[in-house]
Amino acid sequence: MSAVRVPSLVAPGAPTVPRVQPSAWQRTVRRFRRNPLSVLGLCIIVFFVAVALLAPLLAHPIERNPYMIPHQGYASDPRPPGPGHPLGTTEEQFDLYYGAVWGARSAFVVALTVVGAGIAVALTLGSLSGYYGGWIDEVVMRVTDIFLAFPGLILAVVIVAVLGQSARNAMIAIAVVAWPTYTRLLRAEFLRVRDMEYVQAARAMGVRDVFIIIRHVIPNTIYPIIILASLDMGGIVINFAALSFLGLGAPPGYADWGQLISLSHNWILGTAGDPFQYWYTLLVPGVAIFLFVLGWNLLGDAFQDIFDPRQRGSV
Amino acid sequence: MSVVAQRGLAVVAIAVVAVLAYGTGARGAAESVRNPDTLIILTYGDPQSLDPAYAYDTASEGVIWPGIYETLITYDGSVLSRYVPRLATTVPTLQNGLISKDGLTYTFPIRQGVHFHDGTVMTPEDVRYSMLRFMLQDRDGGPSWLLLTPLLGTDSTRTKGAVTVQYADAAKAVTVEGQDVVFHLKHPYAAFLSILAAWSFVLPEKWAAAHGDWDGTAATWTKYNNPKLQDRYEFDHTNGTGPFMLQTWDRQAKEEILVRNDHYWRAPAKLARVVIRTVTEFPARQLQLQRGDADAIAVDRPDQSKVTGMAGVTVQDGYPALVIQVFHFNQKIDVAGNPDVGSGKLDGNGIPPDFFSDVHVRRGFAYAFDYGTFIRDGYRGKALQPNGPIIQGLLGYDPSLPKYTFDRQKAIAEFKEAWGGKLWDTGFHFTETYNTGNAVRQIGAQIVKDDVESLNPKFHIDIRNIQFSSFLQLTVQHKGTLYALGWAVDYPDPDDFAQPFLASNGQYPKQNGFSDPHVDQLVKQAAETADPARRAQIYRELTKFAYDNVLAIYAAQPTNFVVMRSWVHGWYYNAVLPPLANVGFDFYTMSKQ
Amino acid sequence: MSRFIARRLLLLPFVALGVTALIFSLLQLLTPAMRASLYITDPKQLNALPDIIRKYHLDQPVYVQYWEWLRQVLHGDLGWSETAREPVLTAIRGYFPATFELALYSFACILVLGIWLGTLSAVQKDKIVDHLSRSTSISGASLPTFVWGLVLLMVFYGHFGWFPPGRLGLDADLFVRSPQFHPYTGLLTIDALLNGQWWLLWDALRHLVLPVATLTYFITATLVRITRSSMLETLRADYVRTAEAKGLPRDVVVDKHARRNALIPVITLAGLLFVGLLSGVVITETVFNWPGIGRWGVTASQQLDIPAVTGFALIFAGMLVLGNLCADVLYAVVDPRIRLQ
Repeated sequence: MSAVRVPSLVAPGAPTVPRVQPSAWQRTVRRFRRNPLSVLGLCIIVFFVAVALLAPLLAHPIERNPYMIPHQGYASDPRPPGPGHPLGTTEEQFDLYYGAVWGARSAFVVALTVVGAGIAVALTLGSLSGYYGGWIDEVVMRVTDIFLAFPGLILAVVIVAVLGQSARNAMIAIAVVAWPTYTRLLRAEFLRVRDMEYVQAARAMGVRDVFIIIRHVIPNTIYPIIILASLDMGGIVINFAALSFLGLGAPPGYADWGQLISLSHNWILGTAGDPFQYWYTLLVPGVAIFLFVLGWNLLGDAFQDIFDPRQRGSV
Repeated sequence: MSVVAQRGLAVVAIAVVAVLAYGTGARGAAESVRNPDTLIILTYGDPQSLDPAYAYDTASEGVIWPGIYETLITYDGSVLSRYVPRLATTVPTLQNGLISKDGLTYTFPIRQGVHFHDGTVMTPEDVRYSMLRFMLQDRDGGPSWLLLTPLLGTDSTRTKGAVTVQYADAAKAVTVEGQDVVFHLKHPYAAFLSILAAWSFVLPEKWAAAHGDWDGTAATWTKYNNPKLQDRYEFDHTNGTGPFMLQTWDRQAKEEILVRNDHYWRAPAKLARVVIRTVTEFPARQLQLQRGDADAIAVDRPDQSKVTGMAGVTVQDGYPALVIQVFHFNQKIDVAGNPDVGSGKLDGNGIPPDFFSDVHVRRGFAYAFDYGTFIRDGYRGKALQPNGPIIQGLLGYDPSLPKYTFDRQKAIAEFKEAWGGKLWDTGFHFTETYNTGNAVRQIGAQIVKDDVESLNPKFHIDIRNIQFSSFLQLTVQHKGTLYALGWAVDYPDPDDFAQPFLASNGQYPKQNGFSDPHVDQLVKQAAETADPARRAQIYRELTKFAYDNVLAIYAAQPTNFVVMRSWVHGWYYNAVLPPLANVGFDFYTMSKQ
Repeated sequence: MSRFIARRLLLLPFVALGVTALIFSLLQLLTPAMRASLYITDPKQLNALPDIIRKYHLDQPVYVQYWEWLRQVLHGDLGWSETAREPVLTAIRGYFPATFELALYSFACILVLGIWLGTLSAVQKDKIVDHLSRSTSISGASLPTFVWGLVLLMVFYGHFGWFPPGRLGLDADLFVRSPQFHPYTGLLTIDALLNGQWWLLWDALRHLVLPVATLTYFITATLVRITRSSMLETLRADYVRTAEAKGLPRDVVVDKHARRNALIPVITLAGLLFVGLLSGVVITETVFNWPGIGRWGVTASQQLDIPAVTGFALIFAGMLVLGNLCADVLYAVVDPRIRLQ
């Protein structure tokens, strides 16, 4: 069977008997390093974090709103990479380099906002639902049923149609579509942990519920959420791009990879004589999104390999 | 399943794909004509209704006119000021006496021996019925006002939902005398023939009545007034006199198929079939044109570079459209709960409700707009700058009249005078809006923002793109500030443009809080005078007024271009034909070889 | 078991009501003037705005409008869709088979490809094969669908001319509309077979290749991941290790024991996946001009076609609950441990 796991009343992973095996953290790092794909994923994400943080230095903002890409003129035909535009321009002359750099920032903002909102709602509703059970659970489950009983993209479209087109509303729409999944997952985890011995013991000892939830239950249930969130980060950016494609995401000229790809979609086919004439309009944001999603997917898979107890197996 | 089975499945899959691909054959861009008797047009929008009295959008009208339904007279090819007879035998003029001297009576001798698609013969009663039906059906937001206005003097049969028109008045307005149909106008209206040439569709009375429509009597007409889209049989069934008949309207595949009418009253058309299909994605349209699977496609200006030089495809450019792109100033803004006006006061953080009522403000904006860049970048240079609402191609257009130019010095001078000199020191901040999904308006909005902001650091303009639904909301509440809207031709007469832009009961003056009784006088006069020279004179005056008072920034009159396979022949440009693929099509004259 | 099924079926109207109420009230947040944009599409019609609001009762309170709609539904009438220019039920009945056909073939490909790649990855864990298959499947989900779609269109239609957009070629299209063709299911491939028209089947399949490929590429990643992790878990199980210790070759172990057990969570996921397909199909349908329900659903939502969206929500919710129920029943049938719970 798997390596011996010693249940602990304090925090999982802390040693209770003299160690003969490496610590959990060291095991984690070693397992991580063993898998080249995981390392690749981590490198990609670190790269994007750096670009996002350094955005104002890498691409100096000109407009009042730094997320609006500067443009010289408004001519329709995209211009290839050249002086002044290291990566070329899109339709209507938005600079691709600026868009790519600040797009990293907006990608993180969008993804983290949605994931954050999802987790926040999941923690509140999921914990109440999973911990207390009963009719609270029923109600919450039925509400998630209702939200899940509708195709996600269309619900998002309806929400943006109602709230009006803007990046903020698109984020709200995606978050509204995403929260039921997080809530269900967290609830399932809560149910699992609630029945564990040490939690029962804590309750028997009279420890307050809130305390138990915060100190014991949440740390034990957070891993599946981390896995889901990291896998979702890429998906959220893709969904945001889909909304832009439908004309419901960020406005044209907003520094967002999805919006840039959307602007490129009439140019992907090039002209009859040269289908690759406007290759840069697709390649620049395309590579960015591709790597971003790939990175998070690899990272999420890595987390799953590491954190999922069912897969821990032998070291 | 075992590994062997897996591999086997993979092989089978590959083989299937290969056979499929081989079976179709890789075609090069074929030089021989594809589908020689079928014309395939790929459009952008799909029709709403095939009922000629209901349809008021170009996607619907392009299908039914002039292919399925015909008019009494129509324009002479590309020339909009000359008419040729269709279902009438002669075009009424003052000379041949078919127009009365006072301009109130128009007589149309009706052609005999014309058959509808169901085989029945067209009679003058059918013509009368069709005209009355067009007026009296009067659905909300429909085209009925076009005949109601000249014939009954009102633009609707209803006021606040209740019917206020008497049948007797309508019955008197259109009468049958022998083989003639006679129109009796309320006031002389110089553009009447122009309206009829585009809107006098004829369908059979008996067929309509037999299928749940009005039977033509006084007693029942109110029951058929203001229908919903699906209420009438004619919504998706047609029965006209035109060279083509409707074979199918597939609303899911968004495809309309017309077939040749072999019993057409002129020689049958050359094309056996016309297929009009809605393809919203430009890349799909582009590829189908390239491969010859489509003969004409809708192409926006920004996408033009992708079809230029395509083998086997001709692009013809330079056809002035009867369309105008305008940036409106709302002179009476409702600031309550309005996100676009900032503080709602002239304090540098917003604009007051009457901000645009100061002509110096408007002039400042008009001088600060870079017309050249707008036309160059928004239309690839293929547009004209209008000098007012009367555009090129209309009677009364005078290119020598002054128009605003991009002049920063003059703009600064005007802004410095605005609001008693206060504006220059205080500045302002507001948001302009434009419709989602319209690149040209977005460019225009950007230009306004960039150019005006560059004059004075205290001038702040934000841009908000909104969906049409939000735009409706804004409009009805008078909350728009500076917004972009166009106008496209209903009938090629200057009154069609003067009225909605200048008359106080016109659409835009009502929205923008402008009203001037003297202008109303002029508009009315010009509409009723028969003498073209006098009319042109009045329209010149109106253009000067629009220039002096800068009711709006008249930004561009676009030029159309058409993209077709080279094997398509017989097309001619007519600025009034509803654009199916950039331009309108008269399928009767077209062929492929 | 029957109590379980009954209980779930009882939930169906509740969920359906909940979904429609949610969508309806969401859309009613818009003012009557905004909702009138469904009927007023051109600035020239702006004058008619108050009349339109009056004519279509757009200014009545939300609950009144919802009650009206509900009453209609109980009479079997889902209302009229302005965007489809057809009754809502007719539109759904027309659009659904097209999407279903697309989803069906995509689903089959995804299942085959996903399970194959997932198993392969699990068995060859951490080797090159694993990395390659995982990267390939993930790459499919790393770009918006329309990018893959357009690239495929460019290569296989623009350049080679093999697989055109749309659902049928011109000749096939005309034939399908003629009286010689009898539509049975609405799925053109099946109908072509039932009509005995091989060339029609050919044509329909040709038009299916690219959209199916696009969808498959996009969604396979999820199935690969689930299959892989499920397989990995199973491969570590005691009985598998025992079988291997006893000398059974890996192949046999995987085929006869591991796979069946590993597929259990895949079945549950398959249900979700199918529903996810119906949502993800929107953009594919737009790119390839496929007359399906996804594209219509989005257009209806964008244009605030409330009867269409609510009707759509109702039907979809119903399908989903039934689908989930089937999946759960299947799950219970396959895994005796569940039945005992």
